[in-house]
Amino acid sequence: MLLPKQMTRVLIVGSRNALKDTIEVLYQLEAAHLIDFSAEEEGFSLGAPLPESSVASQRLLKLRSLEKDMGIDDEDVSGQMETGQIEMDLASTIDGLEAEITGAIESKNKINLRINELEADKAVLQSFQALPLDLELYHDYDSLKVFTGKVRGDPSALVKAAAPQSEVFLSGNGDFAAVFVNTAQADEAQKALVQVGYTEVPAPAGPGSPQKHVAKIDEELEALRSSMKEAVDKLDELKDKHSTFVKAADEHLSIIVEKAETPLRIGTTEYTFAMDAWVPTSEMPKVEKAIAEKLGNRAHLESLEVMSRMEPHGHDEEGEEHAPAKVEEIPVKLENGKTAKKFEFMSGMLSTPKYREIDPTSAMMITLPIFFGLMVGDIGYGIPFMLLGLIGLKKCVSDEWKTISTLLFFGGIWATVFGVFLFGEAYGIHFAEQAHDLSWSSLLGVQLPHELVLGGFEIPLGIYSKLHSVKQILYMSVWIGIAHLFIGFCIGFYNKSIRYGMKHAIIEKISWLMILVGGALLLLFVVDFMILGKDVALTDIRMLVAAVLLVIGIGMAYKGEGSGAILELPGLMGNIISYTRLAAIGMSKAGLALAFNTIAFEVMWGHDFHVLGSNSGDIVMLIAALGIFLVGHLTIFILAIISAGLHSLRLHYVEFFMKFYEGGGVEFKPLKVIRKYTIEKNGVSE
Amino acid sequence: MADAGLIALSAGIAVGITGMASAWAEKEIGSAAIGAMAENEKLFGKGLILTVIPETIVIFGMVVAILLWLNM
Repeated sequence: MLLPKQMTRVLIVGSRNALKDTIEVLYQLEAAHLIDFSAEEEGFSLGAPLPESSVASQRLLKLRSLEKDMGIDDEDVSGQMETGQIEMDLASTIDGLEAEITGAIESKNKINLRINELEADKAVLQSFQALPLDLELYHDYDSLKVFTGKVRGDPSALVKAAAPQSEVFLSGNGDFAAVFVNTAQADEAQKALVQVGYTEVPAPAGPGSPQKHVAKIDEELEALRSSMKEAVDKLDELKDKHSTFVKAADEHLSIIVEKAETPLRIGTTEYTFAMDAWVPTSEMPKVEKAIAEKLGNRAHLESLEVMSRMEPHGHDEEGEEHAPAKVEEIPVKLENGKTAKKFEFMSGMLSTPKYREIDPTSAMMITLPIFFGLMVGDIGYGIPFMLLGLIGLKKCVSDEWKTISTLLFFGGIWATVFGVFLFGEAYGIHFAEQAHDLSWSSLLGVQLPHELVLGGFEIPLGIYSKLHSVKQILYMSVWIGIAHLFIGFCIGFYNKSIRYGMKHAIIEKISWLMILVGGALLLLFVVDFMILGKDVALTDIRMLVAAVLLVIGIGMAYKGEGSGAILELPGLMGNIISYTRLAAIGMSKAGLALAFNTIAFEVMWGHDFHVLGSNSGDIVMLIAALGIFLVGHLTIFILAIISAGLHSLRLHYVEFFMKFYEGGGVEFKPLKVIRKYTIEKNGVSE
Repeated sequence: MADAGLIALSAGIAVGITGMASAWAEKEIGSAAIGAMAENEKLFGKGLILTVIPETIVIFGMVVAILLWLNM
């Protein structure tokens, strides 16, 4: 369960006319990860696509362009279609549909073009509407030059001065002018016009007043808009009618093309084919049986090698692998239960595990929510987190949100557990009566117990207070770090032992385990000596054992990893101290909660809020206090997702995984098809 | 017992300056990581790891601050 599924390398050879059937069988089995044929082997050449691929590709191309034209989305599709039905309709429907749609789109585009033209004309005419002249008056003069266009000021005076033989017409709002001038003085007039920011707008042709033309254009525009609406309606109608078919046919054809192009990954000769593939060892009997039954003696499956976890190329003294000769990477099929599967995305975000190492997902599944819960540690947030996660798991579809929901749900459970038993608080307020602090007991006026008595056992409700037992929580988080890293090194030891053998594993990982344990003993000693101020001798048993472990451990690590190991020593200490963030983030949350609670209660009851009833407050203050309380705790709640979530993830990625995880594996991708809009069924049934 | 105010000030400086230091380091790494992610989304995990590495600085600062505070 912890290691990826064991893989067997197989070779399937057969006569070339059985290629299509073989591919079909493999697609049905969904258990073979094909190894791309490298065109280096003598006598073999790359296979050619099966004949049906070209027709299917052409149709697919047409369909895709139709999809784009019609703007079909996934939401437009209702239900699934049977492949037999699609096959029957395909040839006739595609061509008909193409003609219809192209027609509709073309007419829509034409109308659009004409509308744009007319609107441009109309804009020009509207400028001329402001002048009291008919359109024919602007054209066909021998000795007159006509300037028409936009201006930024009244050009009359300037033009008159430059060209006395001229006449100027200005629109009512003064931004459009027509200037009639003697051809001989045209240049001077134009210069004068340029001074008032003249831009030319050529006069439209035609007799009659601009008003008449505008009216005519409006009429035509109206007609065009109604036919535009018809065209759009028709397209919509076509879309409604055919989108399911188009999407289903797209999927069906894509699958045909994918299957038909599979030979491109296989080596063939004139009469035979040979394909290399990985099959999970547990599925081998099924695959062997299916090939023997369905293909008889036309194809043969040979199991080449059951891949062991041992590295084939050994391991040198420096701790680095020899650069292996080009070996195909063994694909990794993770084997996780239902719950662990939900965390796969999170470990996969870093990297896919290698075939020869433990999949860290299961370890992550256990410790990640615990860390999250420890950092939140408050029943007031824990239960909402749990509910939010539950809703997310039910409603969310995407992997990312599902993963976040999973973390929130399990993290919420732990936050509730820690909130009740370890910290005994809700919204930063303790349950039981406290010496200096506010507590739910004093708030509600009910005596909440310090511990729960269950069948003779006293279960404490709240051992530590996040803000008053900092020392203890800090100390605890360091030990959690040591334990977590211990597990990490143990997994690392197992990984090394299956990959390179026991000797390497002991030198590389047991050495670090010894250093870790030695360091932990040293920590006990130092705490006694420095913080508790106890009188301890240097010959204390812990000190002696620690020294021995450290010396041997460092010696072994030096032998195994070279001088780099010495450099990594402070790194290990940094790793352990890094776990104090478990305490720090819990503290910061408690601090924020305390601040918001203090503000809210002061608003409600005044400065002496520790003594209830001292100032009962009015209803407005009560509402304001409630508002502050809600907004404040919502802020903490959202911050908790970011800080607690991200930091527990980081503790895993940076501190924990570095002790054993290599990653960089190739995902197992068997030949298989995923159908969304189609159902595989031959023949028609209506 | 040393002056409580001085201790509080020192604790504040310890957290504040280390916080700025990690922020600065993370800014540089973070922007590079985002750049790398824009080219290859699979680098998210590695980018996150590299980005949060300097955070250790502020954790050290915080531990120092807490030790100071406990001695108050």
